[in-house]
Amino acid sequence: MTAFIDPWWLPVIFAGLMGLSILLYVILDGYDLGVGMLTRLEKDENRDLMVASIGPFWDANETWLVLGIGLLLVAFPLAHGLILTQLYLPVVLMLVALILRGVSFEFRAKAAPEHKQRWDHAFFAGSLLTALCQGYMLGAYVLGFDQSFAAVLFCLLAALGLVAGYVFVGACWLIYKVEGDLQKRAVRWAEVSLWATALAMAIISIATPLLSERIFDRWFRLPEIIALLPIPIAAATLFIGLAIFLRRPLRAKDELSWVPLATAGILFALGFVGIAYSFYPYLIADRLDIWQAAASPEALSIILIGALFVLPVILGYSILSHWIFRGKATHLSYE
Amino acid sequence: MDALDPLILARIQFAANISFHILFPTITIALGWALLGFKLAYNRTKDGAWMDAYRLWVKVFALSFAMGVVSGITMSFQFGTNWPGYMEKVGNIAGPLLAYEVLTAFFLEAVFLGIMLFGFSRVPNWVHTTATLLVAGGTTLSAFWIIVLNSWMQTPVGYEIRDGVVHATDWWAIIFNPSMPYRLIHMLIASALTVAFLIAGMSAWRWLKDGGGEGVRRTLKAAVYAAALLIPVQIFVGDMHGLNTLEHQPQKVAAMEANWETRGNVPLVLFAIPDEDARTNHLEVAIPSGASLILKHEAAGVVPGLNDYQGNHPPVAPLFWGFRIMVGIGVAMLALAWFAAWTIRRRGVDAMPRWLAYGLVAMTFSGWIATLAGWYVTEIGRQPWLVTGVLKTADAVGPVGSAMVASSLTLYLIVYAVLLTAYIAVLYRLARLGKAAPNDKPMFPVPTIAPGPAAPQEEPA
Repeated sequence: MTAFIDPWWLPVIFAGLMGLSILLYVILDGYDLGVGMLTRLEKDENRDLMVASIGPFWDANETWLVLGIGLLLVAFPLAHGLILTQLYLPVVLMLVALILRGVSFEFRAKAAPEHKQRWDHAFFAGSLLTALCQGYMLGAYVLGFDQSFAAVLFCLLAALGLVAGYVFVGACWLIYKVEGDLQKRAVRWAEVSLWATALAMAIISIATPLLSERIFDRWFRLPEIIALLPIPIAAATLFIGLAIFLRRPLRAKDELSWVPLATAGILFALGFVGIAYSFYPYLIADRLDIWQAAASPEALSIILIGALFVLPVILGYSILSHWIFRGKATHLSYE
Repeated sequence: MDALDPLILARIQFAANISFHILFPTITIALGWALLGFKLAYNRTKDGAWMDAYRLWVKVFALSFAMGVVSGITMSFQFGTNWPGYMEKVGNIAGPLLAYEVLTAFFLEAVFLGIMLFGFSRVPNWVHTTATLLVAGGTTLSAFWIIVLNSWMQTPVGYEIRDGVVHATDWWAIIFNPSMPYRLIHMLIASALTVAFLIAGMSAWRWLKDGGGEGVRRTLKAAVYAAALLIPVQIFVGDMHGLNTLEHQPQKVAAMEANWETRGNVPLVLFAIPDEDARTNHLEVAIPSGASLILKHEAAGVVPGLNDYQGNHPPVAPLFWGFRIMVGIGVAMLALAWFAAWTIRRRGVDAMPRWLAYGLVAMTFSGWIATLAGWYVTEIGRQPWLVTGVLKTADAVGPVGSAMVASSLTLYLIVYAVLLTAYIAVLYRLARLGKAAPNDKPMFPVPTIAPGPAAPQEEPA
């Protein structure tokens, strides 16, 4: 089987698809991990309601991680091995955390009532540890797996930053999905986590170019700097705009309750575009680019054919599922 | 110390992860179809007992599915964290197959599972039935792709090696590689038997407690009949698979039979302690010419022996014993399922002797043990190769040190032990509560579409 398009493009397309999967993962699983961490702040009925609001979605959301990592594995096998052996410990911890988080959904509802509390703890701890590990990995990845003390400190900061980001998008999800007092508290959570997220994004955005000359050049060279300015300006505007929006009372009939969630999604996308622009075309900073790491053009072509047919379908039925379970969440049952 | 060799640790870790993982797909693959069966029976008869059965077993399905998903995610990372050499060498073939699994099956299951579990009152009945069908189809499709890849690793064809890296030359040959059809069918029936004995065992346990009602009687009967029909088919398919292995991986069969010399009139060894250093069996109890009869269908048939493959064959004892455990359970399943089916057919469920119900309870998880034993035989039987004749296991392992792998392995084992205990405890709790199991309170205001399950609907798609 021969490549049906110029083989030069294949790694570019796959880098794009992989980036898209990871971005979707961060936004989608981000909201349910955020809700998982926020469950700690509520009890009983409200906690059940929060879990119910993500119940039908979390599984499909997590699948974007499988696709993102799967694409790294199949399209860039060399990079997959290098990156994951470097991140061995946080990956293992994240996997254990994801296991705990995922099964707690089921166990908390099905185990004996006296054990429910324990699974609630596991649910919270799993969500928190997943976010911490992913943030740590993001930090380590951005620094090209530097092991110095300052680098580890930066990674820990990134870990907290991602926790803030996930809590933020989780709170926005709750504003969209719940009502009444719980919704009011969700607004408050979103207000606080918004600034923490903004701070974390600012620190990472400033640190990255300072740490790599190549990235510095990419951002602060004319005329690129003019073309790139809209990214930070848009992000700052959205942060400030959303902060003002959250301070106002909620509209009658809850008409605009989707606005914070949509804004959070756009903000994550902007942050992602920034990181992607800094790195492209490298998969591992300044060491391994997408053409060096790619699988053979024949293998990539055959995956691409499948992906082009199937990805729109996946997007379609993901939207269908969100549409079927639209509106405010109440309590889940298998009815 | 030899035992702490990173290669051995990485292998134990992979074995632990994949053994834990396979327990749950083994249940969900067939349970999906069983649920579809319950749902269709309900659609046809409008008999509430079928819906009771559906409601109980859909909870088991949801729990098993979640366990399968989270333990499966671990697998996709394992390749990179512990076995980077695998994708570097055969990534051009393994990659597309894994990608097709995620793209065609994984998402399908994950998305429609939400609708199947929580959508009953949100969508028209036919959509709910279709969601059940798509989830069942998704789990089976998932099994298909994974078995294709595994079989290709056992019997690789349709490739060439350029610059030390494997490239695909014929995808049709790769997908329909020589051992794939046998392994796929063997596994699908194994899943069906596992579920049949699981449902029969849990239902019998409930029946022993308080009779359990019509739903329990019905699932018990359906499960016992399914087991009685499937087990002889499985034994036949298993035999075919064995002959296929004899053709393509004779050293694996030689180890399974603990046969050292290539010769005719090879006995069927029932018990022995294989000794690889002395290259002989101790305390052997055997049926004369048995193995020749089974493998070559004549007493004088020449069966290959391990000494033809010295230094290039799998360890003998685990294969020998793994195979005997699997076959032993198969025979026990046959005896129990046929006797139970005969009793129930003649006298009905409620007239079943209590010891028979206890027998079914004892066999609840027998499918898991047989499936694991079978996979150990086929996977250890591929050693020392990771991909037969292409890549040795030792050449694929990553640079991570012993201490690190030992820590991660310990962590996984603790988590798995806790989860398995909780899983089995919850299964019994659900069986005890039956249709009164939790989560039956009303939910989700239905926005615009209202047709509930009670309204007669179009035929399921």
